Amino acid sequence: MSVTVELTYDMGKELGEHRFELEGVETVAEAVSRARERFGDKAEAFDQLGRLAAVAVNGVLASHRRGAKTRLADGDTVSFVKAAAGG
Amino acid sequence: MIKGYAGRVLEVDLSRQEFAFADLDEETARLYIGGKGYGTRLLYDRTAAGIDPLGPENLLIFATGPLNGSVAPQSNRFAVVCKSPLTGGIGNATCGGSFALGMKKAGIDVLVVSGAAPQPVRLEIQGDRDEVRFLDARELWGRGTYDTQKELGKKLYHAVIGPAGENRVLYAGIVSNERIAGRTGVGAVMGSKQLKAVSVGGSRKLDMEDPEKFKAYTKEVRKLFADHPVLGESMKRFGTGAIVNTTNGRNILPTRNFQRGHFDEAVKISGEWVEDHELKGVKTSCIHCPVTCGRDVEVEGKGRVKGPEYETLALLGSNLEIGDIKRVAEWNYHADDLGMDTISLGATLGFAMELHERGMLDVPLSFGSAAGVTEMILDIGHRRGLGDDLADGTMRMSEKYGGKEFAMHVKGLELSAYDPRGSFAQGVEYATTNRGGCHVQGASMYMESTGPLTINPQNLKLKADIPIVQQNLACAINSMVLCIFTTYGMIPKAVHEMRPDSFAHRALVKIFENSGPIFRTVMGLKGNPMMWFEKWLTYITGTKFSAGHLQEIGARIFNLERMYNLREGVTGASDTLPPRILNEPTFDHMDSGHPLPELLPSYYAKRGWDARGVPAPRTLEKLQVRL
Ligand code: SF4
Repeated sequence: MSVTVELTYDMGKELGEHRFELEGVETVAEAVSRARERFGDKAEAFDQLGRLAAVAVNGVLASHRRGAKTRLADGDTVSFVKAAAGG
Repeated sequence: MIKGYAGRVLEVDLSRQEFAFADLDEETARLYIGGKGYGTRLLYDRTAAGIDPLGPENLLIFATGPLNGSVAPQSNRFAVVCKSPLTGGIGNATCGGSFALGMKKAGIDVLVVSGAAPQPVRLEIQGDRDEVRFLDARELWGRGTYDTQKELGKKLYHAVIGPAGENRVLYAGIVSNERIAGRTGVGAVMGSKQLKAVSVGGSRKLDMEDPEKFKAYTKEVRKLFADHPVLGESMKRFGTGAIVNTTNGRNILPTRNFQRGHFDEAVKISGEWVEDHELKGVKTSCIHCPVTCGRDVEVEGKGRVKGPEYETLALLGSNLEIGDIKRVAEWNYHADDLGMDTISLGATLGFAMELHERGMLDVPLSFGSAAGVTEMILDIGHRRGLGDDLADGTMRMSEKYGGKEFAMHVKGLELSAYDPRGSFAQGVEYATTNRGGCHVQGASMYMESTGPLTINPQNLKLKADIPIVQQNLACAINSMVLCIFTTYGMIPKAVHEMRPDSFAHRALVKIFENSGPIFRTVMGLKGNPMMWFEKWLTYITGTKFSAGHLQEIGARIFNLERMYNLREGVTGASDTLPPRILNEPTFDHMDSGHPLPELLPSYYAKRGWDARGVPAPRTLEKLQVRL
C-alpha cells in the first residue's frame, strides 16, 4: 500500500522535499512517524516546522475523522496544512 | 456634515457634458455609511427597473466612505456600484490603489456618472477649484491600463479602463495603480459610457471628531498588524498566494474546471514559491497599508510587473492545470493591462477547455497546456474571433454551447477559488451573495476551512450562520471603505499560535462549532467599539460603532441589494450552485456534492426571508430599508 505525503512549504524547503511516497503505512500516526524518521537528523526541524500544521487525509482533517488512528487506503494523500489567508 | 465625510456628491452627465456638486445626504450616510452601501442606495433610487446595464441610463457610481482619506491601514479602497452587465443584478466591486484618497482630497465622497459620451472622453476633476474637465480621450482609446496611467502622469489619482472595458468584455474591471475593481463587469459599464479615465485630486484634509485618539490608536493598530501571523507575517511575506498550499491540502483548490480540489503541482504556483524563485524587488501595497500584500515579478519582455494574487494563481493556474508560475504571471499581466477580472477569465478559459475536451467546442485550448492561452486572452480583451464569445463569460457560453452542468458560476458571476464542496459555509455564501459567486463578500471559508479555527467544514453546524455574519460584516467593511483583508486580523495571534492538536485548541473549536444561535447573537450585540475599524469609525465620525451596529448596517445593505436584484428579476431561484458542485463529489466520503438544499431554508429563515428568498416586510421595516 502506498500513500503520498505533502509537507507545508516551510517544511519541504527545510527538509529538501515537498512531496514523497510512503509504502506500507496504515494509519495517520504511522504516516507521521515514518515521515519524521525519513528526515533522520532533521527530525527536530520536522517537529518544529510541523508544530502548527494540522494533518489532512485527502483534504479532510484527521481530527474530523479518527485522529491519529484514522486508517489510510492505497493512493491516499496525507497533507500537512497550515492556517492561511488569501484573497 | 458628519465628520469623516467631505459632504459632497459630484454628478457628471456624460451625454450633456455637464456636472454639478450636490450635498451628501446625511441620513443615507448614517444608514448606509458610504462606499458600497451609499452607492447601492443611489442606484436603487435613481435608476428605473429593467434598464440596459450597458445603456446610458445605467449609473456608474464611485463611492468612498468615512475611513478613506485617513492614514488608517487598509483604508485606501473605493467602491464602484452599477447594474451588472454580467449578472443583470447588482454590480459592485472595490479597488485599492490610491483613487479613493484622490476623491477625498478633492472633497468628493461620491461621484455619480450618468449618460454616455458620443466619443471617448476622460474626466479631470480638480476638487480645490470645483472644476471638472471633459477631455478628448481618443488618443488613449485602445491603450492598456499600464500605459494609460503612465500617460496621465502622477499629479492626480486615476481610475482607468483598458481595451477590455472599451470592448465591453462582460467581466472587465476598473484599474487604479496596479489594483482592480474586478468583479461584475464594472469596467464594461465604464466602457459603454466611453469613459476612459477619471483623474481626481485636491488638497483637502479629512475632518475628524477626535484626531488625537485616532492618531494614538492607529499607532497601536500598526503594531498589532505587524505582530499578527497573517497581516504581519504570511500575507506580508508571501502575499495572498500564501494560501495555495492550504487550499490544496484541504482539497478545495479548483483544478481542471473544478473537477478536482487538488493539484499535484500546486507548490509551484504558491506564494512561498514566488518568494523563493520569482519575486523581483520590493513588495507593493495600496496607499497607507503596512501589509504590502502585492508583489512584483519579472515577465519576459515586460519587465517588473505586479504578480498574480491567489485567485489568479488558482483560476489561471491549477484550474487550467498549469503549474508554471511564469505563464500565470504573464497571463495576469495581460489581464491587468487589458483591464479584466482574472477570476471570471480563468473560469471561462477552464470552461472552454472542458467544452473542447468533450468535443463541444472547437477551440485550441486544453487542460495542462499553455498553448493558445496568451492569444485567447488577447482575443477576449479585443473581442476577436472566438474570444468574442469567451468575453461574455461562462453562463452565456453555456447557453450557446451547452455544458450548463459544469459552467462554474452563480447568477452569472464565475466562482472564486475555494471549492465549496470542502467548505460548506462558503457554498451558502456563494449561492446567496447578491452579486453572485464571490468570496470577498463574506470570506466564510476563513472561518471554517482555511483559518486557524478548524471546525468541520463539511457538516451542517453553523453553515447558515457564518455566511450571514460574514456577509453583513463585509457589506459594512465595503462601505467604510476598508480592505476586506482586515477581517483576517480578527482572529487573535494567540489562537494562531495554538497547536491544532492541543486540548485548548480543540476545546475552542468545539465551543465555536456548537455555539449555534449564540454566535449570531454575540456578533449582534451593540456595545462598545472593540475592533480597530469600529474604533476608527467612532473616532472619525463621533458616532459609536460596535460589532452589533455594523451587523445591523451590513444587513440593511445586504437586504437592499436583494431588493434591487428582485426588482431586476434576479430571484431566489438563482440562489444556487453549479450542478457540478451540487452533484459531483470530490471527497471520498461524499456520495454527492454540496448540501445546499438542506442549508438554504435555514439561511432564509435566519435572514428573515420567506421560502422564496424574499425579505419579509417586517425584516425590511426593522432594518429601515425603504423601497
Ligand atoms: S492588505 Fe493588500 S490589498 Fe489590502 S490594502 Fe493592504 S496592500 Fe492593498
